[in-house]
Amino acid sequence: MLGHWEKAVNNFGGDALKSEEFVRGMSAATAATANMQANTHQVMERVLAAANLPSRADFDDLARRVAGIEATLARIEAKLGSGGPDPAKPRPSRSRKPPSKAS
Amino acid sequence: MQQTATIDPISAAQGEFERMMARNIKGLNYFTSPAPVVGATPREVLIERGPMRLNHYRPMTDEVYRVPILLVMATTNRGFIFDMVPGQSLVEFLLRAGFDVFMLEWEAPRSHERSLTLESYVLDFLPAAVARVREETGEPDVSMVGYCFGGVLSLLYAALHPAQGLANLVTFTTPIDFSRMDLFSAWSDPRFFDVDRLVDTFGNVPGDMLYASFDMLRPAARTAANMRLYDNLWDDEYVKSFRMFERWNTDTLPLAGEYFRQTTKKLMWDNSLYKGTMTVGGRAIDLGGITAPFLHLAAEHDHIVPREASAPLLGMIGSPDKQEIMLKGGHVSLVAGGNAIKRMWPALANWLAERSI
Repeated sequence: MLGHWEKAVNNFGGDALKSEEFVRGMSAATAATANMQANTHQVMERVLAAANLPSRADFDDLARRVAGIEATLARIEAKLGSGGPDPAKPRPSRSRKPPSKAS
Repeated sequence: MQQTATIDPISAAQGEFERMMARNIKGLNYFTSPAPVVGATPREVLIERGPMRLNHYRPMTDEVYRVPILLVMATTNRGFIFDMVPGQSLVEFLLRAGFDVFMLEWEAPRSHERSLTLESYVLDFLPAAVARVREETGEPDVSMVGYCFGGVLSLLYAALHPAQGLANLVTFTTPIDFSRMDLFSAWSDPRFFDVDRLVDTFGNVPGDMLYASFDMLRPAARTAANMRLYDNLWDDEYVKSFRMFERWNTDTLPLAGEYFRQTTKKLMWDNSLYKGTMTVGGRAIDLGGITAPFLHLAAEHDHIVPREASAPLLGMIGSPDKQEIMLKGGHVSLVAGGNAIKRMWPALANWLAERSI
């Protein structure tokens, strides 16, 4: 019975959620959220600037620099040869055959 | 003489009472205990760069097939759907079947990674993963296995790197005709959906927003799932399984803004992969150029990638050795859970074993 109810609601809901009215409403809600987010962002930027604190953009800039340093380290590591296979790691032989061909 | 079964109302009531008590006691336990530990198969992280993680799982047999497997996860979800718990892990199943298994999975892109594009994934992350697998195994070729949008990324990689050692290509529930993904197609209607405003405002597209979209595909599913959970609270296995899937479901990853903008415009609006007009990094994508043995595994009751959205894929692949297997189940139960253990995993292992020597 639960399965029937679930199927019926999903079918009905699916049709309703596909309708132009719903899509229009959903897009308007998304746009409103985006506007709110943009306004909050602007206000926060001003507040942080007034308080002499780093903004999100400053942190992004720092994160980008750290990512650049990480990438450089990875390149150095690769050149030093430590990025390759570990010789101490157990290496099974790569000769397995499927059951039909093994016999 | 016909016998009719009689039900003793007292023992039936007693049974129901016991079940109710067990449900209440275990219900309390449900809210006070942590979720099961997932993704615990021993592994080594080979690459950790940006949102990209390349894992190598420790082989479980003394002799493995020559060709390694590279699992490619969808960018919206965590990779542990392939490695739930012992006995319910595709990774573990493949390891025990004698494969050398790697997985390319994703972390949430950080705020400054909003500029990652489709090119970052197809022309940088995937080739880097393949190169590392080759280096690690010493083998010139790999089998690539992509799930959902991981399948789309694998197809794009295969089309652009036809000569770079792809032994086999497998995709699970992978869309190709995006116009047939009815709800997503309606919700991203360019007349109403302003993807530029969304990406320009948010940077990365929030995981919560994507989760809500997936959830709305089946509006009654959440309520029905919770009712079933209550009904089965006395059953430890059911509760454990519910919690694993619930955890995976709700842990939807954000998407890099530019990547989302491109995929919306190229795939949802222009349907360019299906129409043959898709480009990545200025290079045309021709699925007919994929000549590696190809397998597509589709689910009969897939609510995210309906059958019509993946049906044309097989015909578009150029390989002479290609096959599609339609299995019972949905988008998630195709790859994990009891259904997958019985049907999909053996089918995948058998197909790959024949082509991995």
